[in-house]
Amino acid sequence: MTSAAQVVALVAIGRQAVRSALAVRSEVLVSAVAVLVRVVLVVLVWRAVYAGVDEVSGVDGPTAVAYAVLGAVFTNVLNPFWRSSLEMRVRQGRIAVDLLRPVGLVPQTLAQQVGTTAAAVPRCVLAVLLALAIGALRAPAGGALGLLAFVVSTALGIAVALLCNLLVAMTAFWTLEVGGALMVYRAVAQFASGALIPLWFMPGWLRGTLEHLPFQAQVFTPLSVYFGALGGGDLAAALAVQALWVVLLALLAQLVWSRALHRVVVQGG
Amino acid sequence: MGQPMIRAEGLVKEFTRPVRRTGPLAGLRSLVTRERVTTRAVDGVSFTVERGELVGYLGPNGAGKSTTIKMLTGVLVPTSGTVEVDGRVPWKDRTRNARGIGVVFGQRTQLWHDLPLRDSFELVAKLYGLDRPDYERALGRFTELLDLGEFLDTPVRGLSLGQRMRGDLTAAMLYGPPLLYLDEPTVGLDVVAKARIREFVAETNAVDGTTVVLTTHDLVDVERLCRRVLLIDHGEVLYDGDLAALRRRYVPYRDLVVTLAREDDGPLVAPPGTTVVEEPRTARAGTGASDAARVVAFRFDPAQTPTPAVVAAVTAEHEVVDLDVTDPDLEAVIAEIYSSGRVRA
Ligand SMILES: Nc1ncnc2c1ncn2[C@@H]1O[C@H](COP(=O)(O)OP(=O)(O)OP(=O)(O)O)[C@@H](O)[C@H]1O
Ligand SMILES: [Mg+2]
Repeated sequence: MTSAAQVVALVAIGRQAVRSALAVRSEVLVSAVAVLVRVVLVVLVWRAVYAGVDEVSGVDGPTAVAYAVLGAVFTNVLNPFWRSSLEMRVRQGRIAVDLLRPVGLVPQTLAQQVGTTAAAVPRCVLAVLLALAIGALRAPAGGALGLLAFVVSTALGIAVALLCNLLVAMTAFWTLEVGGALMVYRAVAQFASGALIPLWFMPGWLRGTLEHLPFQAQVFTPLSVYFGALGGGDLAAALAVQALWVVLLALLAQLVWSRALHRVVVQGG
Repeated sequence: MGQPMIRAEGLVKEFTRPVRRTGPLAGLRSLVTRERVTTRAVDGVSFTVERGELVGYLGPNGAGKSTTIKMLTGVLVPTSGTVEVDGRVPWKDRTRNARGIGVVFGQRTQLWHDLPLRDSFELVAKLYGLDRPDYERALGRFTELLDLGEFLDTPVRGLSLGQRMRGDLTAAMLYGPPLLYLDEPTVGLDVVAKARIREFVAETNAVDGTTVVLTTHDLVDVERLCRRVLLIDHGEVLYDGDLAALRRRYVPYRDLVVTLAREDDGPLVAPPGTTVVEEPRTARAGTGASDAARVVAFRFDPAQTPTPAVVAAVTAEHEVVDLDVTDPDLEAVIAEIYSSGRVRA
């Protein structure tokens, strides 16, 4: 198969994932309502926190509220309640069929994840519109260039999140009881990515630790860019760290995948 | 032509699992000792399949059929031995090999559960790089052949087993692979659905020249479809060759089944070269015999005693109202081989 044909195939898989994610109307509705409610709640809470206070740890009220809104939106997309196709297909023993496709299993899985992520875009747009309507959000700092930096950082953040999710899903090749581990992973990822509380508010030691983990590259970095918290040199460094995580995680995923594949094709799953 | 479609030589597959211990501290002990147990699912299987052949790959449960097919598709790496499909080593070149094969695992669907059948097909077409006109043409043909029209827009999870199997066959053949593996494609289907699938497989083989490797426990499938069969058990080939020859070689007898005019005819005289086999049988309808009529079989070797001679001898000796000459059915042949574990030379 030529690489062009591979791309066509992967796009088709991604679009199918979008369609699957949007297939059940009640599910679409519930997840949209969930993110909207969450946005309203975090706005209420953070406004209450800042009632009568100008700044906390050098962060003003409007920024904290807007951060909380975007954090809620990001985590909604990047740490979905677990429905990884890979993990499900391993459990159902369907992996043999997936291996029989003329496209690799990892590209298939990633295309599917991208599709699922894309299917979340409409509800995120709704959430952002709602936040704008209630005055909880403002435009990104730094004009057009700032917006560009935010888009790049977000794309890298999504890549980091997808690779982390892929790695976690691949544990299904070793143990079929991933449910509990996934819950823990999800909670840790949400917290450590800075989606719940900005790393700005965390004690130095904790922040120092979290900065060495890939999670902050998923949410905290793009949001810092959004609020113009990073000056020129820091911005470049932050983007470089994100890119580095993408490369490292991709290499790790490849390593884990080759072990997983070995398990399937040599030991029979 | 030239090179065969499939060439397997000394194919072996072993599965190794850690021993699960029981009793106190079982988990700890199995961690420490790391004792392992090895199963040899396929044990030195060799065969070749020429282009355009339709081969039945048969054997009792656990014989190693599915394991062999998985090695041929590249999903499993052989422990030893060599395998080549269309000149490629499947497990080394898995994705390229995938383009040239269609696979149906009857026990397991390859379709997407939540998608309508049609969407599954479209995805398959994209995955295999089929262009629109070719796809439309193929889908039209299979829709007609397998009568898919009624449920093309039904999500796969809402299909009956027979409908799903027809969908799976279409998905496997949509991109026109020259080689088709069917692992129990008729399992659990009713007679009409089975017949339809057989017809489809026969047509695919005859018209498109698709090479087919068929695994099934339904011997009617085999009789209708396969000229050549490969019989395996315990991972070893017991027989590889013509179906008719197998039957001749293994069970060289024929039965003359007669319905006697009177119910208790006492002990029967068996003409030379025959033996009497008395199993509970009932008379055929429309012969005028009562339900209680005595039906017996005279078993003989047609190579030694010609059938007309046996008929003449039996009818001279007994008053009969009906007679029938039967060959042993394939089921009996296969059952005999499975239970004795080898093929008579
Ligand atoms: N992944 C695996 N791990 C361990 N043992 C396996 C594995 N797959 C198959 N086996 C064993 O290998 C042997 C052959 O299994 P296989 O599935 O090939 O049989 P089969 O001929 O297809 O049987 P059936 O007619 O029941 O489908 C069996 O003893 C089975 O338990
Ligand atoms: Mg099987």
